[in-house]
Amino acid sequence: MASLSEMYDVGWEEMRDKLRKWREDNCRNSEQIVDVGEELISEHSSKLGDDIWIIYEQVMIAALDCSRDDLALTCLQELRKQFPDSHRVKRLTGMRLEALERYDDANKHYDAILQEDPTNTAARKRKISILRAQGKSTEAIRELNEYLEQFVGDQEAWHELSELYINEHDYGKAAFCLEELMMTNPHNHLYCEQYAEVKYTQGGMENLELARKYFAQALRLNNRNMRALFGLYMSASHIAASPKVSAKVKKDNIKYAAWAAAQINRAYKVSIEMSYLDSTFHCFYSFFFFIGY
Amino acid sequence: MSCLLSCLAYVKMYLHSCLFPRCSVNGLLLSSSSAGGAVCVTDCVPLLHSHLPLAPITQLALTQVKEDLRVQEGDQKGRREPGCRRWPNRLVELLQALVSRVPLPVLSPVDFCRLGTDCCPFLSRIMLRQWEETRDIASQLLESGDHGLLVDFDGHLDDITKDWTNQTLNAKIAELSSPANGSI
Repeated sequence: MASLSEMYDVGWEEMRDKLRKWREDNCRNSEQIVDVGEELISEHSSKLGDDIWIIYEQVMIAALDCSRDDLALTCLQELRKQFPDSHRVKRLTGMRLEALERYDDANKHYDAILQEDPTNTAARKRKISILRAQGKSTEAIRELNEYLEQFVGDQEAWHELSELYINEHDYGKAAFCLEELMMTNPHNHLYCEQYAEVKYTQGGMENLELARKYFAQALRLNNRNMRALFGLYMSASHIAASPKVSAKVKKDNIKYAAWAAAQINRAYKVSIEMSYLDSTFHCFYSFFFFIGY
Repeated sequence: MSCLLSCLAYVKMYLHSCLFPRCSVNGLLLSSSSAGGAVCVTDCVPLLHSHLPLAPITQLALTQVKEDLRVQEGDQKGRREPGCRRWPNRLVELLQALVSRVPLPVLSPVDFCRLGTDCCPFLSRIMLRQWEETRDIASQLLESGDHGLLVDFDGHLDDITKDWTNQTLNAKIAELSSPANGSI
């Protein structure tokens, strides 16, 4: 079978740069990382210099995600040889044990790290991940709350806690976590939209009005957010349809809903025109290719 | 209650769970049933792979599927242009349906990891016609990477040019499961 570099006519530098971009963007495209990384490691490791170690780590984590224990072990062994006493490598050892569902052994590894370094946040978060993997949501929530009391600025942890609360249908606490995230990330339209969805799900007039406001805020930050557009339409329509609201509130919300409907209509018309143009372009392209242009 | 799963429904459920191996996914099973008989699940509509417990997108997805099915029934009586997009024309009806008090269908969790007789608490027996062929079709599509063709409703909202009704994938599954291929 042809290698990736042969199939796509790319050199080892492009593959290295691609891996770096995926690292910086925190992409979880594990299958692609394994394909590119495995070839880079096996055929070009001598050219990578010190980058090889971070690539080993990146490929190892992606390999665990794809159940490629063979590749993960290869990468881990190289890292252990180079960094025998590293907590970071010990954490990777723990992650491999987690992937093999040897949770007790993984916990022992993390406890050993925490004994030497109680401030190691990565090991603490892995222990919480184990609880989540085992379906122990209540314990995971408790541990995560204790963690956040000490590390209150950890946004990843706040987001994880909001997800846990949503899965437990504890929407009030999920909303609190998302409020923390919105405070530190006021320009993130996704947090606004998720907060609005939680408020909509909670129900009640006050929550619906908050939902409408935050759907609108998400649209201000990103006017292509379709979930926010539909959410604005639905929340405004429900408020307008309520018998408890005043005539002015009803009129305003009818206006908001009409605007959202028009935007949705426009977005779908544009998408159809683009699909038509795309298929027309392909027809023309095929035509020219066929007649030898 | 017993349930007969069609090849199309099973394969789409399987591919949906394979496309998002790290998430919980949900979808709608479309069925016809005779009184007192087994439920025949003829198709599956993959819906969400994120924030399943939140209401707005679930409500939107269920309403759109219902509208689409209603229009399909009407289309069967008249002529339907292949590949036409009905969205802009039916937008008003859809949006009105969204805010009307439409009773939701029963939602039942299905554990895709154990897609067998014990995967759904509401059903006492799940039957699959020609299980070997169905399983082969699912594996073939997964190995060829065609599970990437599947678009769920979440994916449609991320990019509204993608077709959540999965016409291309449906055609591929129908082709693989046709008698001409020595299959079902």
